[in-house]
Amino acid sequence: MKMKKIRADIQALLFLLPFLVVYILFTLWPMVKGVEMTFYKWTLIKKMDFIGWDNYRQVLQDREVWEALWHSAIFVVLTTPTMIVLSISLALIANRKSLLQKFYRSIFFIPSVLSVAVASYLGLFVFQPYTGLVNSILHLIQLLPGDQEIFWLTETSLAWIVITLITLWWTVGFNFILHLSAIQEIPDEIYEAARLDGANNNQIFWRITLPYLTPITKTIMMLQIIASFKVFMQIYIITGGGPLDQTRPIIQLIYQTGFRKNNLGYAATMSYLLFVILLVLSALQYWINNRKGAEDR
Amino acid sequence: MKKRSIGVTAMALLLSFSMVLSACGGNGNSGSNANGNNSAAGAGNEEGASGNASDSTDNGGEKVSLSFWTLFDGGDGANMQTLVDEFNKTHSDIQVKNTKLAWGEYYTKLITAVGNGNGPDIGISHTSRLPDLINQGVVTDLDTTATDAGVDWNTFNQNLLDATVVDGKHYAVPIDTHPFIMYYNVKLLKDAGLLGDDGKPVMEQSADGFLNFLKTLKEKLPNKVTPFALSNANDDPYRLWWALYSQLGGNDLISDDLTVADIDKEKGIQAADYIQKLFTEGYIKKNDPDFYKNFQSGTAAIMMTGVWATGTWESTKNFEFGAMPIPKIYDQEATWGDSHTIILPTTKKEDSAKRKAAITFANWVADNGQIWAKAGHIPSKPSVLEKQEFKDMPYRSDYASVASMVKFNKPSVKTAQIRDNVSFKFLNEVWANKMTPAEAMDKMQENVQKTLDE
Repeated sequence: MKMKKIRADIQALLFLLPFLVVYILFTLWPMVKGVEMTFYKWTLIKKMDFIGWDNYRQVLQDREVWEALWHSAIFVVLTTPTMIVLSISLALIANRKSLLQKFYRSIFFIPSVLSVAVASYLGLFVFQPYTGLVNSILHLIQLLPGDQEIFWLTETSLAWIVITLITLWWTVGFNFILHLSAIQEIPDEIYEAARLDGANNNQIFWRITLPYLTPITKTIMMLQIIASFKVFMQIYIITGGGPLDQTRPIIQLIYQTGFRKNNLGYAATMSYLLFVILLVLSALQYWINNRKGAEDR
Repeated sequence: MKKRSIGVTAMALLLSFSMVLSACGGNGNSGSNANGNNSAAGAGNEEGASGNASDSTDNGGEKVSLSFWTLFDGGDGANMQTLVDEFNKTHSDIQVKNTKLAWGEYYTKLITAVGNGNGPDIGISHTSRLPDLINQGVVTDLDTTATDAGVDWNTFNQNLLDATVVDGKHYAVPIDTHPFIMYYNVKLLKDAGLLGDDGKPVMEQSADGFLNFLKTLKEKLPNKVTPFALSNANDDPYRLWWALYSQLGGNDLISDDLTVADIDKEKGIQAADYIQKLFTEGYIKKNDPDFYKNFQSGTAAIMMTGVWATGTWESTKNFEFGAMPIPKIYDQEATWGDSHTIILPTTKKEDSAKRKAAITFANWVADNGQIWAKAGHIPSKPSVLEKQEFKDMPYRSDYASVASMVKFNKPSVKTAQIRDNVSFKFLNEVWANKMTPAEAMDKMQENVQKTLDE
């Protein structure tokens, strides 16, 4: 009996081995190595000198780091709530019984299959002055005088709007699917009962649909916050972090420090700072959720 | 249920973080050391038509195989491949294998590959990147090898060569320079009455002269035409600023000992102010999405960029253009420029036969600059300028003299960082009219120092 179990374990291990090796080699080991790096002056090529806590001391006082973190935070604040509202709205639209149901489902999801570069460049073309779609439409409906142009990417606040819109358009598909499937799982009897009791559409939405969507929304929120904090590529392509580094997120700074300034040790330190921040955020969110859950019961 | 979700949270976090890490871990050491032992006997040792005395590397008929990493694409990539093929054909004892890498990743890949001993035998470096590569131990000095192979440094343009000499040692073989020059649309200049009988623009070479030239273009040409096509950020306006700053006598942004930020503020302000006016007074189209296309489609009278555009304009149908050095707006003739150079990266064990073959190749490429000049670059050897094949190509001779006017950066390891993270950043604000030139110079001084201290 015992032999059998051991054999089963070995078998299982054998199946897990290929992934495990790759995971340890390319994920766990670099993480450990990363910690080591934070204590050294470390260039792209090699380990230089042990410098103890210097990188940590520097990172806490470095204005650029905190500014970049702040920009990442702005991105989180801009995209997370809008993402959830948009995702629920699209899910509601696509859930309505209509001839266009399938069409909606496809067009809401399709942008998600694009790669980040394609989505960002499309966005760049759309917001380009003189010939871009947005300015052309504004000219057409005469909201914008013919001899004027909006330069979307040279004003920090406009640049944030562009980044947010492109990101929402590109990534809403996945969350939309999650919300849609959650809506479809709500039992019809509940809606029936509500209608018999004379509830109107508004009441049904706020008292039934939304509460039923809360668990999945919480999950989406957490994933969204973590994913948004790691934003890099679309901003890098759209604004390059400009104007004046006012939209540069922390990952871009880490990338620049590591690969442009040739300072991997300091870049690793910033990465771990971000790691700790995300850890704290997640813990906080978990704690809040948990407490609420307890009250409900 | 709740208990489990903390595990899920932690897992999600771990995974997400590992993705952050993996995103930063793209070390490419795809560089295969071309070790293919080509056993083809070195029959028929015919020499290259270039007639360089040092062409033959005498190593008993055995073929030396060299790996060569380049960062060229488009026309440059094709021309370099032609050079490599031609060299291999005429040198039966040496085989060069060209590996094209993406330009954006090139330096990172080169540095990491050389660092772990998998670098190529021959590489390309911009002159401006050399000091950094030297500092990191990526490139080797060439003096002994060059003497062995009989390379004559006097055959090079000394301005280009001097920029590759650091601490008295040669580190690279320059094959070209690609300075910042001016292009003009022949038809539009004619329409504005600014084309002389010699087919050259009529312009007084001074600050006011150039402004008047632009003013006339703006007045005489239809509203749709941009007098001066230039990008609104980063490289090209910076290059113009660098050129004017140098024309005023400005000498880089750092001191000679490379440790102190040393911007000549008065000159920097004067140059920045002049360019800012070109933007604010409407000579340059605001936030032009594509200034190359603007000029290429015949809707801009003049434009300034690097010489590499010559090849592009040439292949544009029904496009009549001219090329010339940028105007001498201030006292001294000067412009921005950089060079492509061939370097011998550090290898695990030094193989003098390979090194000799490699520098023979580098020197041969410089000798045959007429092929390389097809894309628009100016060859690094004055002798190439005299070749009939070079003279037969239009435009190039109009700006070949610029090679001696290029003002290079001082050999600081921080050159690229200062340009990308300081100069671009603040000058862009000046062009957007959101910062005064004086403010920008103060900020630049402060941040150049910060970059040097890091």
